[in-house]
Order: sequence, then C-alpha cells, then structure tokens
Amino acid sequence: MGPLAPNGIISENTNFLLAFFIGIAFGWVLESSGFSSSRKLAGIFYGYDTVVLKVFFTGAITCMIGLLFMSLFGWIDLDLVYVNPTYLTSAIVGGVVMGAGFIMGGFCPGTSFTGAAIGKIDGMVFILGLFIGIYAFAFTYPLWEKMYMAKYLGEPKISQSLGMKDGLFGLLLILVALGMFAVAEWAERKFPREEY
Amino acid sequence: MKPLKLLALIIIPLGIILAAVPADKTKRFRLSADELLQEAGAGAQFISPDVIADMLVQKDPSLQLIDVRTPEEFEAFSLPGAINIPLSNLLSDEFTDILNQDARTNVFYSNGSVTANEAWMLTRQMGYKNNFVLEGGLNYWFGNILSAQAPSQTSPNEEFAKYDFRKSASAALGGGGVVAAEGAATAPKAAKPAVASKAKKKPAGGC
Repeated sequence: MGPLAPNGIISENTNFLLAFFIGIAFGWVLESSGFSSSRKLAGIFYGYDTVVLKVFFTGAITCMIGLLFMSLFGWIDLDLVYVNPTYLTSAIVGGVVMGAGFIMGGFCPGTSFTGAAIGKIDGMVFILGLFIGIYAFAFTYPLWEKMYMAKYLGEPKISQSLGMKDGLFGLLLILVALGMFAVAEWAERKFPREEY
Repeated sequence: MKPLKLLALIIIPLGIILAAVPADKTKRFRLSADELLQEAGAGAQFISPDVIADMLVQKDPSLQLIDVRTPEEFEAFSLPGAINIPLSNLLSDEFTDILNQDARTNVFYSNGSVTANEAWMLTRQMGYKNNFVLEGGLNYWFGNILSAQAPSQTSPNEEFAKYDFRKSASAALGGGGVVAAEGAATAPKAAKPAVASKAKKKPAGGC
C-alpha cells in the first residue's frame, strides 16, 4: 500500500529517479501546451488567457479525486502522505511576492525553465532573477526568520476546519472549480486579445 | 460537446460518489509510535490474575483467554477455555475475527508477560480493541493463584481476603498446592498433571 517511499516499497534513490522522469515529462507537457510563452501566464491576470488556471486547477482536482478513490480502495494511506505545514504569515506574504513576480516576469519557476530550454532569453533572465532571489533570501534569512515562522498552524485540512468529510469537500471543490472555469471562459470572451 | 461540459459530466459524478461514501471507510486506523508508547507505558492493557481467576470461576462468557505460546506448550498445559494463537500466527487472516471484535474480552497470556504483551502491541497497532494481557503470565498465575501463600499474621485484612479468594479459586480451578509450587519456577511443564486433565476438555472455538 502506498505511499511508496515512506512505506519502503521503493528506495529513496528510486524515488529521485522517478521524480527526474516525472519532472522531464512535466516540462515537456508545459512546453507543448505553450506555457513557455510568458504571455500565457500574464494572460490570466488580464483575463485574455486563462489556460494556466484551468490546467493547474484541473491538475489539482484530478489529483484529489485520484487520491480519495485510491484511499477508498485501500491503495494508499493518506495519513502518510506528506502535507506541507502551514505558516500563515509566510503563506500570505509569499503568495503576494510570487504573484507580483509572475505578473512582472511572465513566468513561474517551471515555465521559466521550459522557456530557457527552447532558447528564450527572457526565460534565462527570469532564472537568473530566481537564483538572485534565492540567495538574497538565504543570506538575509535571520532578518525574516520571525515572520517566516509566524502563525504556525500545523497541517490543517480545509475539510477538517469546516468539520466535513473529505469526500463532501471534494465534491464542493469540484463544483467551485467548474464555476471558476465557466467564469474564466467568460473572461476570455470578454477581454479577447489578438495575436499574443 | 464543449470541453467544459464534458469535464463536468465526468468529474461531478465522481465527486458525488466520494461525497456519498462513508468517511471512515477511506481511513485506515493506525496508532502512531507516540500513542502506542503512551498506552504501553500506562499499562492499562494488564488485567490482574485475580480478576481473571474470578471470571473463570464465575464462568464469565465474555472472557476469551488466548494462549500465544507455541502449540506444543499449549498442548502441555492451558488455562480453562483458552484457545491457542501462537504469536507467529497472530496476523494470519483466520484469527482476525477473534482478535478484531467488540463483544468479548480477549486476554493474551504466555509464560511471562513479554510474549503476551507483544501480541497486545501488535493487535493494538492494527487498531483492534478489547485485547488485554494477563499480568505476570502463567508464572505468576502458578506462584500466586494456584498456590497461594498464607499471609503472615500481622498482614492487613485485605491480604487475608485475597488469600481466601485465591485459595477457593485455586480449588475451583483444579490447582494443587504442591504441584503449583513446583510450577512457579518452570511454569507450564511442571504444572501439567494437576490442571491439564481438567482444563483441556475442549479448546473452545477458534483453531
């Protein structure tokens, strides 16, 4: 029964090898769906192209449905699945910083690498900026530490804090996602942009 | 058909199924190492031999004694009504019904209490309830229940009450003072003659 690595079904090294291949596949899908164009990512903020929203939310929904069904069939123990711990302040601040960076740069870390891989100079510059940011944060970490660690919430699940079953929350999230997709498609018709 | 409608047609039914399925089925019970350590440390799994002796004398139907020693040891001697589930077979499917239930009180016993405690930890880790351990195991059983020692004259009244109970329980359970005194050192084999013939009329249920 999964998850594979914590249960020792595959070794840590096999895990990295699988991650390597999955990462390559991910990059290939990103590139072949046109994500290495910075206009694609910027488009979501202006409403003319919402593919990013649709792709990533569909990914999340697919993953959620898959995990819940696999848990239902007894194939995976959800308690052993790693969940990122929540630090509320840094989640909010990080979200704002990331969002601003996405609009200004037109890339997210993944798409900047696919952009660089097909020779886009703006992608390479974005990667450079990414590393500058990483080093700047690492070397000034003591300045941020207090804020970084503030409001630690553990590993809460929204379904738990709402007091509902995972499955019921899953259904609600599916409905919310579909509603969001409908709004996104409306936005694409409302703010069309030629030739981007 | 528009892609959005197609997507909705696929994922909404899946979501409805997930919402309709009972929640606890999607979760596998398991104690964390911390929780298990706490329970084991608290010692709530131990049941004192006096309680067991009382239940045996009363023929309490909710009591299910489980011998976790080897079949040979079980053949040589077992407590009345006990069934044999050797520790090595504890997790086999045929015993799941016996170990994972909420009707009876399962009490593991072995010569000491180590093997029985291991059985308890394993079943507890599986999330099973109503499993307990005979405190002190058979060694203590022979030394104190079947061959109770009279307390000294200056002992408090409770000691005498305990002694009287143990003595009558010993009589009811077929213990013989002399035999059991010997058994205290090397519990099961030495104790064979007195109790075995009476106790082993039928290993109730199970295997």
